[in-house]
Amino acid sequence: MAKGSLGIRGLGRRLLPAAMALGLAVPAAQAQQPAEVKVGLLVPLSGIYARPGAVMRMGAEMGVERINAQGGIKSMGGARLKLVVLDCGDTTEKAKNAAQRMVAQEPDLVVASGAYLSSFTLAVTEVTERANLPVLTLSYSDLITDRGFKYVFQTSATAASQAQQSLPEIMKLAEAASGARPKTVAIITDNTAASVASVKPMKEKLLAELGLKLVVDEIFTPPLSDATPLVQKVRAARPDLLFFLPTVISDAKLMLEKMNEFGLGQGKIPTISFGIAIAEPDLLNTVSPDLVQGVMAAVANWGSKGHEDLIAELKAKYKEPWMTQNAISTYGDMWIMKSALEKAGKADRQAVAEAIRTMDEGPSKYFPGGVMKFDEKGRRIGAGLTIVQWQKGTPVVVYPPALAVAEPFWPKK
Amino acid sequence: MTKAPAIRSLAPVLLFAAAYAVIAVVVTNSYYQLMLTLVLLWACFGLSWNLLSGYTGLVSFGHAAFFGIGAYTAALGQIHLDLSPWLLIPAAGVFGGLAGLLIGVPTFRLRSHYFALAMLAYPLALYYVFEWLGYQEVTLPMKRENAAAYMQFADPRIYTLLALALLVGVVLLTLLIERSRFGMALLAIKQNEAAAEAAGIDTLAWKLRAIALSGAVAGAVGAFYAVVQLVVTPVAVFGMLVSAQALTVTMFGGVGTVWGPVIGAATLIPVAEILHAELGARFPGIQGVIYGMAIVVVILLAPEGIFWKVRDFLRRRRPAEATPLPQAAPAPAPAAPARSDRAGAVILEVRGLSRSFGGLRAVQDVSFAVREGEILGIIGPNGAGKTTAFNLLNGFLRPDAGEVLLDGRDMVGRKPHVLCRAGVGRTFQVMRPFARMTVADNVVVGAYVRAASDAEARMLADDAIARVGLTAVAGRLAAELTTRELRLMELARALAGRPRILLLDETLAGLGPAEAADVVAAIRRLAADGITIVIIEHTMHAMVRLVDRFVVLDHGAVLVEGAPETVTRDPRVIEAYLGRKWAAHAAG
Repeated sequence: MAKGSLGIRGLGRRLLPAAMALGLAVPAAQAQQPAEVKVGLLVPLSGIYARPGAVMRMGAEMGVERINAQGGIKSMGGARLKLVVLDCGDTTEKAKNAAQRMVAQEPDLVVASGAYLSSFTLAVTEVTERANLPVLTLSYSDLITDRGFKYVFQTSATAASQAQQSLPEIMKLAEAASGARPKTVAIITDNTAASVASVKPMKEKLLAELGLKLVVDEIFTPPLSDATPLVQKVRAARPDLLFFLPTVISDAKLMLEKMNEFGLGQGKIPTISFGIAIAEPDLLNTVSPDLVQGVMAAVANWGSKGHEDLIAELKAKYKEPWMTQNAISTYGDMWIMKSALEKAGKADRQAVAEAIRTMDEGPSKYFPGGVMKFDEKGRRIGAGLTIVQWQKGTPVVVYPPALAVAEPFWPKK
Repeated sequence: MTKAPAIRSLAPVLLFAAAYAVIAVVVTNSYYQLMLTLVLLWACFGLSWNLLSGYTGLVSFGHAAFFGIGAYTAALGQIHLDLSPWLLIPAAGVFGGLAGLLIGVPTFRLRSHYFALAMLAYPLALYYVFEWLGYQEVTLPMKRENAAAYMQFADPRIYTLLALALLVGVVLLTLLIERSRFGMALLAIKQNEAAAEAAGIDTLAWKLRAIALSGAVAGAVGAFYAVVQLVVTPVAVFGMLVSAQALTVTMFGGVGTVWGPVIGAATLIPVAEILHAELGARFPGIQGVIYGMAIVVVILLAPEGIFWKVRDFLRRRRPAEATPLPQAAPAPAPAAPARSDRAGAVILEVRGLSRSFGGLRAVQDVSFAVREGEILGIIGPNGAGKTTAFNLLNGFLRPDAGEVLLDGRDMVGRKPHVLCRAGVGRTFQVMRPFARMTVADNVVVGAYVRAASDAEARMLADDAIARVGLTAVAGRLAAELTTRELRLMELARALAGRPRILLLDETLAGLGPAEAADVVAAIRRLAADGITIVIIEHTMHAMVRLVDRFVVLDHGAVLVEGAPETVTRDPRVIEAYLGRKWAAHAAG
């Protein structure tokens, strides 16, 4: 990095030779079998998405530590993983710049994970695809793996798939717990890409298939200044279910508080969210645990049954109260990288990418549902999701049964 | 414009382009290459902003509107219609230009910070429109075959070279505008829109041309940005930061010059990126703090931007260049000719002119006539309605009642620049010289109303400068002139449009007796050449020796009209100026 900065400063001053020398010297730098294999983590570490990026980094660091503690990459003579962390900032331009920097300045980096927000992942993978660098992502957007790219691998179920999978489960849960099948639903969503992508298939066909009538359909632009008009509509319509999709924690707080104020909170109207915002530890900084009791969220991944030691380590080391998707998925990415490297047997982008493409390792340990295998689009085959529910101040996994650590309860009307 | 200076001014541009091209070709590192491309793109965007805001002074906080329209044109055009960016970038320019016109027509009704705030609204509105349309994230489809036809190059150097071509194009366009009547009109608007109108400049038309061109450039840059970035989101192209980027690079580098945005982008983009790369992963967020503070410091030290700071510094280092202080040798003033000789046919007539501001009747039922070739003085104490009467005469204000007849035609409701075209020139009470321009450039602004070509305008300007006796200082910056010279320069600017009637608003204000005599002599020479002159003055003293006839206003109405000798002795006039006691004294 120090070298890199020298070069660009020179460039700023039109000092040609420095930049030139560096630019030309780079490809020649790799030679003998590395005792270290560089893997990248390109996530937001500054700006408004810094917090999820920091949690992803925790997961990545834990993964790398454990892999190295267990002897590194055995097929490469026990080579250690070395995590290269890059900040993709808070704009698509910065994300693209960081990706370009990663592929240009770290020529011996063989695989990476990133970049939290789907817009950033889209921008980053436009660069990595052209540099033949494989990238693993937890982003949901269907577009990421709809572009015909060969070097991006999506471990989460896509937004459309998540909606398709979770709705029937939520219906079953409701029916089993309350004895009646919900008939009406209210949807309140912000207009961010991920939320819109989740709601679109619902409105287009899923609700009709499940016999749900949409009685309130509201889209807002974050951040909310007042949730009253939204909650008033819900109160007037009295739906059996409320689907609430915030991305910004302050919006979740405003809405939940206003629901409570109007006497609709704490399960009077069962509330289901999609995405991680409503289950982030930060929510408890501003909202009391009572207020969120019973609220559910469909999330692509969550620290659950079988991850107890990881959750304990995360708590002890990083003071995180529970393991969100950001930590567990990024942790899992490190293990995907490890097995791809084992299979490739060499630190080579193309070989690692091919190893991921042909990977077939049966049930996945760190991702819900499906197997450790990617289809031709780069989507993990059978990728499932988790449903978490706030119970006594903690979001716990209640679905799928294999991962559940608690029984779901259906709020009583 | 002669050939030699044209080439001399192009040399730095071509030199810069050549040097940049060499760097672009030898740098093989794709990351540096991306920076090289982005510097050029943001410089182009800054230039587009500069074209409107730098030259007219109307600050736009909303240039992201044009940029975003361009970016979405490139993205959606390729996604839905499978068109190539080679086509879509020019198309984005057209859309940007149209958007400029659409935005300009309503928004130019506003001035200064109202304009700036209104501009802020457009990208915000478009941001939500594009989200509502479902374009939260769009990507330009990757073309594995026939990639070059879709501007997708494996070699990143090509993007830099294309961006360089775009930059050179925009720089040349800007230089062309800067030196033509277009640029002069914009600068005149920036300094004083009212004076510009009075000098015969159709300010709305020029502003619309400027915003259309600026929008077109921003649109094309936005489209090119989409091609480089490949991912387009509303926040990335319509966001506040995008509009701010245009302001930051331009204000940092220098407003109102072609080099400002280039210097700004070439400094700020790499600095921001270095900070981000060096500190982002280690001390997240600190890069923004340092970057922000650095900008604040530079703006404090060089408020007009680095370019002007350096240029002023260099100018001070080279005092030898300044011309030896020439005494503006006034041509011998013709002795006041017999007054009665000059009065010809009625050229301007005012009938029953009235105008109220709320309850204040500033001008009420004023009538008088101006004869060809005479010097008419309109005098009166403070608040008598003199300036209001002038504003009614040349179209800045619309009268509530009455007529203004020029050669017998009613001109009420015509805009100032139309009246100027019809031969009514005007100077202002408060001087607004274009301080950074030379005397010659200041004056040429007024000449365009009569000139078909730039060369003719120069000729008219030189002639006007000679007529007021400023030829010796024609090459000096207006900022270096004395008050007397400035007054004469303003006179020359009004003269350059070859008016038949010249309305002079307190031209003698702030001058000492000797200086006033100089200016009076100049005005008298003009009258001798056949120009009809109407002059407002607050003080009577200097006027007595100048004018043929007085119209005395008091409380918005005509008090007395007549020859200087009679008027100055009229008790009503003395009372208006000095109060009843003095009137009685004078009478006694």
